[in-house]
Amino acid sequence: MTDYQPFLITFRLALITTAILFIVAIPLAYWLAHSRSKFKSVIETLVSMPLVLPPSVLGFYFLIAFGPSHGLGQFIEHYFNTRLVFSFGGLVVASVIYSLPFMVHPIQAGLAGLSPNLKDASLSLGKSKTDTLLKVLLPSIKPSLLTGLVLTFAHTVGEFGVVLMIGGNIPGQTRVASIAIYDEVEAMNYHSANIYAGILFAVTFIILLTVYFVNHRYAITKNL
Amino acid sequence: MKKYGYFLSVVVMLFCSLTCGAQKLTVAVAANMQYVVEELLPIFKTETGIDVDLVVGSSGKLATQITEGAPFDVFISADMKYPNELFHKGLATVPAKEYAQGKLVLWTNTHGIQPTADLKILLQSSIVKIAVANPKTAPYGEAAEQAMKYYKVYTQVKDKLVYGESIGQTQQFIDTKAADIGFIAKSQVLTDEMMGKGFWIEVDKKAYAPIMQGAVILKHGKMTNEYGAKHFFEFLFTTEAKTVFKKYGYIVSAK
Amino acid sequence: MISFSISKVLHTVQGKALLDVMCDIQPGELVGLYGASGAGKTTILRMLAGLLLPDNGRISVGGDTWLDTTAGTNVAPQKRSAGFVFQDYALFPNMTVKGNLAYALQKGQPPAIVDELMDIMELRQLSGRYPETLSGGQKQRVALARALVRQPKLLLLDEPLSALDNELRYRLQGHILQAHKRYGLTTILVSHDVPELFRMAGRILVLEQGKIVKHGTPPEVFFNELAGGAFQLVGDVVDVNTESKLVAVLVYGNVVKVKVAETEQYKQGDKVLVYSDTFAIKKMA
Repeated sequence: MTDYQPFLITFRLALITTAILFIVAIPLAYWLAHSRSKFKSVIETLVSMPLVLPPSVLGFYFLIAFGPSHGLGQFIEHYFNTRLVFSFGGLVVASVIYSLPFMVHPIQAGLAGLSPNLKDASLSLGKSKTDTLLKVLLPSIKPSLLTGLVLTFAHTVGEFGVVLMIGGNIPGQTRVASIAIYDEVEAMNYHSANIYAGILFAVTFIILLTVYFVNHRYAITKNL
Repeated sequence: MKKYGYFLSVVVMLFCSLTCGAQKLTVAVAANMQYVVEELLPIFKTETGIDVDLVVGSSGKLATQITEGAPFDVFISADMKYPNELFHKGLATVPAKEYAQGKLVLWTNTHGIQPTADLKILLQSSIVKIAVANPKTAPYGEAAEQAMKYYKVYTQVKDKLVYGESIGQTQQFIDTKAADIGFIAKSQVLTDEMMGKGFWIEVDKKAYAPIMQGAVILKHGKMTNEYGAKHFFEFLFTTEAKTVFKKYGYIVSAK
Repeated sequence: MISFSISKVLHTVQGKALLDVMCDIQPGELVGLYGASGAGKTTILRMLAGLLLPDNGRISVGGDTWLDTTAGTNVAPQKRSAGFVFQDYALFPNMTVKGNLAYALQKGQPPAIVDELMDIMELRQLSGRYPETLSGGQKQRVALARALVRQPKLLLLDEPLSALDNELRYRLQGHILQAHKRYGLTTILVSHDVPELFRMAGRILVLEQGKIVKHGTPPEVFFNELAGGAFQLVGDVVDVNTESKLVAVLVYGNVVKVKVAETEQYKQGDKVLVYSDTFAIKKMA
């Protein structure tokens, strides 16, 4: 009997993370693409850190930070009456940070690749920065947006180390597919592990294939 | 000349590591036994002159790795199931032999919580998360679940449970206060690092099935280093080893 | 009247340079801004449009103060009535030709102006096309039309025709002049094409390393330096023959060959002045 709940949790986590990151990453990427601030390099570095840091480092910091004995965790527990460690909410927060570069980088590259005159042209036509972003800049980088969305989704689906460290493997809450597979392998239930792994493989393959297909088509129609 | 001497010493070291290395043992050890076995190693070394490398993990993970061909010589498990499974697969040379029985403790590192032997403390609303090792793969997790069922608190506290990947991670959850309380092995609260940290209480033996811990000589050990593997395995059942097991709260057979 | 006095330290490849210019422009004037690349021409336009903040200075347009650094006034580019045509046109790739124009409509502005400009700039046929499918000249017309939708007081043209061939260039100059007159614009045109400035600009400012070094009508600016002479024409060098020491110059569609002492200082594409001090006459047989 295969339990499909870990997949539901995995995809719910990936969807929510992707949605939050999309909203967070656009202003951040816009700022990074256009700013000449001294802090730009610092922020850029921080955004990229999850790319190089092992998940165990992030997991360890989250465990400490989200726990009730430290400032942030205490604050959240006191004011929101919730504990982020061992909760779905905690996984969302961790995933948002962990997948940040996967959303920010493509959008930042897309925006930086546009002629700076596009923004200036829109401003000189009397349009606000928000209008310029929503009606001119973002529609001009659709392939970058799609890449960011899909990479973030796929990366969150594939998340393991951070979840292992702060999830607590709670069925129906924090037991995601990757953890379920790990469990089954460790319990030597290779049959279940095979089913889980196969489903995850197939789903991520289809998602990525769709994106590459769509982006490829977009490139072709654009060159017509 | 100096350079040449340095080169020579490297060659000698390499040569030594190749030949002397044949003597070196690799022992896979369950996470809850790590500190205990680490204390055994110097004794073993003085008696036999054999060096031992430890690979620490949960029993299940180690067993999986051994199944897939990991080059370990002896396996010290936290239960009997995994070593026996290896024996049936022909990967161990003897059936699992019990070297000790583990004890379960309820431990907290959070001030103001006083663990009680009847586990009723778990029902308190101030306890939000209870850490347990994954019952599916870790014997201490299974024992903890049995104990909670025995004291009839399991159904009420089920939603508070968080599962550590191994007994080691379970300890870390409690240590960092991410979980308010939890079940770990008695050996873990008796280490030098943990001594005096937080509060613990032993869970009554009658509340859970004995946590029989077994070890086996692995096929790899027999083939590459039979002398060392056999000696180490037998060493686990000597009086010296038993003294150390007892010190860490394990039950050992009198004989 | 438009008057500005602005200065800014520029960080160029050669190091720091100070841009410091001052100028008054009468309503309806078409002023040419001439100078080598890097002289600061584009920078001036961007500062006038509010896309770049000068270190010091003031800009006032028809009684409105757009910028006054001493008083801390700096009107946002959105609030400045300036149309800007960029060198790369900066058409919005996600919108059609008509969409680009309609986007420029201000809140509550009647959309009739869009159709009117489409007619003037001969864009009707291209209405539903996307920018990436247009030729350079077509893009140029769209960019110009779009900058005019807002009916700005000031039109800023940053080398709008530099990427086009001569014939197209000539036609588009006509379009710009037509719009300039029709809408009573005050226009600043950045160009380093001398014939273009002759045709279009009433007045020229010559910029060198951030300073206005000369200003006046095109003949005043371009002719007075190189000796008087009864006959002067501006042309492009099309060929240099080092052996015969002949330089071929294209002057208004005709190629004139001129004998020179040294050919080294001339190369293809140079602007030159063809002039003659004396004419000889001969009785025809």
